[in-house]
Amino acid sequence: MSSNGRKPRPKPFEGLRVTDLSWVGVGPTVAKYLGDHGAEVIRVESATRMEGLRRAGPFTNNEPHYDNSGYFANFNSSKLGVTINLKTEKGQALLKRLVAASDVVTESFTPGTLKKLGLDYEELRKVRPDLVMISMPLFGQTGPWAHYMGFGHVLQAAAGFNHLTGWPDGEPIGTGVAYTDFLVPHIGAIALVAALDYRRRTGEGQYIDFSQFEGAIHALGTSVLEWTANGREAGRLGNRDPEAAPHGAYRCKDGRYVVIACFTEQDWEGFRAAIGRPDWSDLERMRRKWSRLKEQKEIDRHIDAWARELTATQAYKAMRDHGVPSGIVKSPEDMHRDPQLKHRGHYARLEHPTMGLRTYDSPAFRLSKTPGGPWKAAPLLGEDTEAVLKGTLGMSDEEFTELLVEGVLE
Amino acid sequence: MPESVDGVPSPHPDGPLSGYRILDLADEKGQLCARVLGELGADVIKIEPRAGDRTRANGPFFRDEEGRESSLYWWAMNAGKRSVTCELRLDAGRELFHRLVASADAVIETSAPGTAKDIGADPRTLAGVNAGAVVVSITNFGQTGPARNLPATDIVGSAMGGHMYLNGSDERGPVRTTAPQAYAQVNFQAAVGAVTALYARGVHGMGQHVDVSMQESMANAMDNAQQTWDILQVNNRGPGPGRMSVGRVGPRYIYEASDGWVAALGMGGLIGPNSGAVIDWLDETGEAGPLAAPHWRERLAVVQPLEPDEQDLLVGIMEKFCRTRRKDDLVREAQARAAGWAPVYSPREIVESYQLEARDYWVQVRHEDLGETFVYPGAPWKLSATPWKQRGRAPHVGEHNEAVYGDALGLDPDDIARLRRTMVI
Repeated sequence: MSSNGRKPRPKPFEGLRVTDLSWVGVGPTVAKYLGDHGAEVIRVESATRMEGLRRAGPFTNNEPHYDNSGYFANFNSSKLGVTINLKTEKGQALLKRLVAASDVVTESFTPGTLKKLGLDYEELRKVRPDLVMISMPLFGQTGPWAHYMGFGHVLQAAAGFNHLTGWPDGEPIGTGVAYTDFLVPHIGAIALVAALDYRRRTGEGQYIDFSQFEGAIHALGTSVLEWTANGREAGRLGNRDPEAAPHGAYRCKDGRYVVIACFTEQDWEGFRAAIGRPDWSDLERMRRKWSRLKEQKEIDRHIDAWARELTATQAYKAMRDHGVPSGIVKSPEDMHRDPQLKHRGHYARLEHPTMGLRTYDSPAFRLSKTPGGPWKAAPLLGEDTEAVLKGTLGMSDEEFTELLVEGVLE
Repeated sequence: MPESVDGVPSPHPDGPLSGYRILDLADEKGQLCARVLGELGADVIKIEPRAGDRTRANGPFFRDEEGRESSLYWWAMNAGKRSVTCELRLDAGRELFHRLVASADAVIETSAPGTAKDIGADPRTLAGVNAGAVVVSITNFGQTGPARNLPATDIVGSAMGGHMYLNGSDERGPVRTTAPQAYAQVNFQAAVGAVTALYARGVHGMGQHVDVSMQESMANAMDNAQQTWDILQVNNRGPGPGRMSVGRVGPRYIYEASDGWVAALGMGGLIGPNSGAVIDWLDETGEAGPLAAPHWRERLAVVQPLEPDEQDLLVGIMEKFCRTRRKDDLVREAQARAAGWAPVYSPREIVESYQLEARDYWVQVRHEDLGETFVYPGAPWKLSATPWKQRGRAPHVGEHNEAVYGDALGLDPDDIARLRRTMVI
């Protein structure tokens, strides 16, 4: 019984154990889903080849330290931290013991790395026949690019997001973030959980070769078919949309931006009411969307002039009160103060041993009967090594000390 | 009424989700979610009004000819589903829908909070019909909270989800990705919620409600900006062609090649532990300029902020180097030197990618109704025991009424004829 006297609700993945060998953004986010929903996720790292995000800020108190990185922490909520040096033979044997006690392995090494260590799926399934394992490097396990290196910031270029983000007369700037790192984990998690459900029903495990590139292409909307069926290439349109007018982001007098999207005649009528039905908006060529689509330059000029006189909040309220799809371009600060996100509890606040009380992203979904969400702050490097090896694996004090002294647990 | 065509959708008994039936009432926020679950084996039934789903009017259209069977949006998001018509505003329609629900494992719906009741698709009603059903509700801001009833489209999700602020530049302001990403994100994240709830049902034995927010799905795409504000009270923002991290704009990461653009983070690897390999490359072609001097190797191997004039020098060398070379050649050579470059690809170049060809990625989808075959994206994952499968073209309006209402629900032809006469289907 929990403190409020109600029976604690079950979590979807309780009873599952995950050995998380992945690093940087994508793999850890996939494993975070499982941890946030009740699986025991053991993040395996090594001080001999430090996880890159532990070296990347923001750091608490601006003190660069591998246990102070907010970048690392956010992707690794609800996990235990174990250090094993997989370059040592004993480290490899130890990992197999851990996998034998696990249901899932997640990894994102360059293809071939685990095979060299004798820790690829073919080897690991010998110690755990019903293992579900997912590999998720940038470009998959095979093909001429299989060994290519990179991060989400450049994968977004190969996968079309640069071509499709920016202004028509400008460079393919892409999103300002390592975009695919925040897209493909969700795609990977769908297959992993589906495979777990298949295992639950049949007892059969399997291997998932997930190419981040190949997953990301499914987020390009109609762009592929526009080429393969219509022989035409989609391009970047700034903030325009081929099917809405007006459609854009408009700078207000406080320097913030409001977005407005009128897809339907009802949206347009609401928009007109919101700006006081000026004469230009009643011109014949403004009365139908197909016609307005050709007048976007002029419409945008009018909206720019209107928005310049108002704060973003005023402009947004005018649109919102007339039922127009609209919003404020929210800064990170705005996001932390957003009443809707507060109400939803989107940013979980968790106490971390060295970073203090910090915010963590939550899943975009809430389950009514088996709710999840981040419940434990990210682990310190190797924080749980002893507890996991002695507890979960039943290792003796002598053996643990021996491995420690030999550097296997670095 | 078009005749049902054999093989659309093609059967997929070997998927990890084979055996599940999923009803799709969704708009742009949930159709891709349902499609993906179908490609993993679920029997996905799209439920449309008799006039056809609203999103059939979404462009662009095949050969620019508008029509309810020619929307490329519809093709892309609903490929491989079955379609039945059912007027949920009618009592008899809701009754029919609930018979389908009784046979289903999950329902995916996107009606505005509080309005699902009007079409008999609210979680309470559905639980009364089928206590084991997973109900996935995908909305702009979630089922609860002060913004729950506000209208939104993709750009609103991008703006209110904090992602758009991080795109664009100081000069031109924020920008969204033209291919809708708030929609893509919420579809995929909803699918994670759906399979998680299906798994939980198997373990714990009950259906439940999955409440998904488009705003939150975009909030999860803010890189380290969320934490940067939390820890340092600094706002990341749109960095133009650079990369911004922890409040600092780095040098540009895209460079113009002779035939397009390449993406090369950290000035192509000039900054960082691998800088020596990149300097060697420039040196071998005689284009290293001042970087050939030994002190630069030491200076650049350690990641630290460069002075503005140093940055300008490096960017200038990179720009000149890239401009005379083809992007695929640049990327191949950079990767051979362990520098993580990639080409900026357009949709056509993605379709023509030799990496994807080597992986046998693309699938040919037959549109027997048009007598043509088109290339669609292929497997997002290669699962060793339960493969992904493209299930065929998107359905025509009500194409599977007979198959679903007859074979699956056991209605006889007279019942179906009566439903048709009374304009329920």
